[in-house]
Amino acid sequence: MHLFRRGRTHEDFSQEIESHLHLETERLIADGMQPDAARAAARKAFGNVAITKERFYEASRWTVIEQFLQDLRYAWRWMRHSPSFVATSVATLAVGLGLVTIAFTIFNAYVLRPFAVRDPYSLHQIAWHSRDGGGQGFTWRDYDELSRRTDLFNASVGEHTRVVSSNGRPLMTAVVSLNYFEVLGPAMQQGRGFGAIDADGIGSPAVLTNQAWTRLFNRDAGTLGHEIELNGRLFTIVGILAPSFTGLGYSPRDVFVPVTAWASPQRTGPREIRETEILVRLQPGVTAPQAETALGAYMNRGREHQDRVTADVRAQPSPNRVSPALLVLLSPVFAAFLLVLIAACANVSNVMLARAIGRHREIAVRLSIGASRGRVVRQLLTEGLLIAALAAAGGLAVAGWGLRLATVALFSTLPPSVSPILRLVPMTFDARVFLFALAACAAATLLFALLPALQASRLSLTDALRGHGGAARPQSRMRSALVIGQVTVALVLVIIAVTIARNSASIGSLDLGFTTDGVMSINVRGEQDELARSLAEVMSTDPRVQSVAVTSGNPLFNQGRIVAAAPAGTAAATPARCTFVSPEFFPILGLPIAEGRGFRADEARSAARVAIISAATARAFWPGENPIGKTIRIERSNGRPLDEFPDYPEVTVIGTVRDIVSGMLITGREPNHLYLPIDPSDVHASAILFRGRTDRDLNAEALQEIFRRVAPDPQIFEALPLSEMRDLQMYPFFAASWVGSLLAAIALGLSVSGLYGALTYALSQRTKEIGIRMALGATARTVVGLVFRQSIRLAAFGVAIGISIAFIALKLLNAAIPLATISLVDITAFAAGLVLVLAATLLAAYQPARRATRIDPAQTLRADA
Amino acid sequence: MKTRSAAEQEQLALLQGTLDVLILRTLLFGPQHGQGIARAIQDTSEDVLLVDHGALYPALQRLEAQKWITAKWGTSSNNRKARFYSLTKAGRAQLVQQSHRWKRLAAAMARVLGHESA
Repeated sequence: MHLFRRGRTHEDFSQEIESHLHLETERLIADGMQPDAARAAARKAFGNVAITKERFYEASRWTVIEQFLQDLRYAWRWMRHSPSFVATSVATLAVGLGLVTIAFTIFNAYVLRPFAVRDPYSLHQIAWHSRDGGGQGFTWRDYDELSRRTDLFNASVGEHTRVVSSNGRPLMTAVVSLNYFEVLGPAMQQGRGFGAIDADGIGSPAVLTNQAWTRLFNRDAGTLGHEIELNGRLFTIVGILAPSFTGLGYSPRDVFVPVTAWASPQRTGPREIRETEILVRLQPGVTAPQAETALGAYMNRGREHQDRVTADVRAQPSPNRVSPALLVLLSPVFAAFLLVLIAACANVSNVMLARAIGRHREIAVRLSIGASRGRVVRQLLTEGLLIAALAAAGGLAVAGWGLRLATVALFSTLPPSVSPILRLVPMTFDARVFLFALAACAAATLLFALLPALQASRLSLTDALRGHGGAARPQSRMRSALVIGQVTVALVLVIIAVTIARNSASIGSLDLGFTTDGVMSINVRGEQDELARSLAEVMSTDPRVQSVAVTSGNPLFNQGRIVAAAPAGTAAATPARCTFVSPEFFPILGLPIAEGRGFRADEARSAARVAIISAATARAFWPGENPIGKTIRIERSNGRPLDEFPDYPEVTVIGTVRDIVSGMLITGREPNHLYLPIDPSDVHASAILFRGRTDRDLNAEALQEIFRRVAPDPQIFEALPLSEMRDLQMYPFFAASWVGSLLAAIALGLSVSGLYGALTYALSQRTKEIGIRMALGATARTVVGLVFRQSIRLAAFGVAIGISIAFIALKLLNAAIPLATISLVDITAFAAGLVLVLAATLLAAYQPARRATRIDPAQTLRADA
Repeated sequence: MKTRSAAEQEQLALLQGTLDVLILRTLLFGPQHGQGIARAIQDTSEDVLLVDHGALYPALQRLEAQKWITAKWGTSSNNRKARFYSLTKAGRAQLVQQSHRWKRLAAAMARVLGHESA
């Protein structure tokens, strides 16, 4: 407050002193003095006017601001005189700040920013856990029962989301309880949410999110009252949400409809799918653990195949809760982004340091005419702050463009069946992001400007006035340290990027053991086994379909079940993946039976106790023997975290197939795999694999049409080409390797420019020395060698530190990730990093070295005489 | 008229903090401008106390900041523009407190010094 309120102006005070002197003079004249003598006496009695004014000036607290403005003016003038320096510094920092802002904006959008609803911090999600499962899915009947628990919750909303086709376009649809908008109270752009007037279930209202309004209606003001087709039924749009709210999850919704109007048969059927998520607000005084205890009894009712079910009530104010585990998971990502910012700061700091040395004389003059050291430091910091502020603005622009670019890149590189249904949370720059940018900018200023400022103010007056860099030695050491730091960061990032790229390439080229070409996978959402059967029947009679197989879980979807299996007659059982498949499974995947034979139709029909096993299983169970005809024991789980099939105590091996990657690509090929025969009517049939006669006949629309014949809600089926599932699994690796490469490239570029700056500066300091050397007969070759040696010396330190850091970090990570397909300590990556960084070092030295050879000995020796 | 150096030998330099009390005391008799305050202090102390007129202003500024006095521009008796200071309620309370303190201090000093000289 005091800083900004100025009691009096300087002029006002001057006037008062003036008036004092006049009054005193007049008084003395009245006492009988001569006017001239009186004026002199009055001045004498007053003392030093200038000092009084100075004291007034210092005392009015405005000075700090005044000085700051002065510093700003001065900094601005200084910047106008060196535009290229300012431009490079600002650009360098803007890239660093922009990258960090991008990382934070995404983190903010998915983790920090609470849902834009009333009192988001009181929202709790209910989940359940059992011994071998768990989830957040409930039935609408569960919702009805739980919403009656007013002793625990003062409000509860239910929501289940699914992709629904609307005139051929997929829409992320949320079927919600009628009270959804009343309880949450999100901001509406137009119209209304659902309310009591929709309770009769006669009308079919729908609410659009802002994103969907933009996409579907191009923000047409007259959208309200329009109808929207969902799954062949018409809904009337009654409201449009403000952009801030996109649903209670990390995947934004397109359209909301009340469950009363949705009225699908699953709503009331006895085998309703457990896929409704329930969010509650706890009654005042009720804690989450209390609610968990109180819900325990309810959770255990009516859940077949599940026992010891417990409730889990946890706060869910944002799509992802901030948890230590999440932070640990994200820390390498943040570390990488932060490293780039630090490299950028080191770069600018280095240049500032060089300039501060160049300004020794100027600073010395300022000190000698009475500026305090604090004042000089403040001046230099102000210059830094100005650059950082410009960079922060640039950083926000970089972040904005970067995010837009990344979004476009994401959607254009995702597998085609995923990109139309993927929705991103709006990446808006809210107050949190701005605060973060501000803090990052302040931190950056401290990082890159404080050091040069302190160094520069520490110089000795006489030395500096004479033109000697009094503190040149520690400064050049500091500058070397900064360059070494940059090389270190660049090397660490390059090694990590190459490691990721090589790993993703090796995973990408992994031989699955089966063919994905032309194979479609269909999963049934929820627990509706009979739908798989009817779909398989419809498809097997469809002329466009070549062959159909049912499975208990399709390859690459990681739905495998693990049982304890052992050769009959031995004691120790080992975990083995167990998949129920119909006989067509092997031909569809191009998986030949290596030994023995495939399943016969009658074995599938009767679910015979026979098995086809993977080659690895055969080797492990009966090394060197023929496995055909041998018996495998499948044990009960007995408390182990495994699946069990009590109906299959023993199976006889009738054939073997080669090992395949059936789950995640990163886990590689399974060692042990048992295939057991089923037909579509079996209870284990929950997924379908099929191959069309041609690639084109069975497009998404044709499939929708087939699905509609089988189920009232075709979105119960999730169809995806197997090859795209593979691409989808690969996607995070490619994304990580792209981001890693980008960060590494930026860090490398920064270290090149840092080295270049350091060498150029060092050269300017050594011009005389080189001149003498050349006068004494040094050839251009030796001079070039001189520059390159210095460059290499700086880089060598950075390389040594970088390699050790990368080695230790990757070694630790490698220990944490026990996967055969991933090798993190990769000699090639280290070698590639080394070569790249050394090449960058030579590149940075090239120009300064050429300049060094052009030094004219006669001129330099004369110049500094 | 005495020369300044001669006057200085007879006059007493002000003790730290005394100027504030003197200003407040002067203003007790009504609003006054800076020159008037300086004159009044010199006159009432019968020229014993030396007030560097320039030193008065930081003190006035300090008192103003503490809201013990307020100031506004007015016209002096000989028709010159001057900034007039007047005592606030807080300033009056401060004066009472300060003069009490000074009296006690002066009495104590007198006792100690009187005892020694006796």
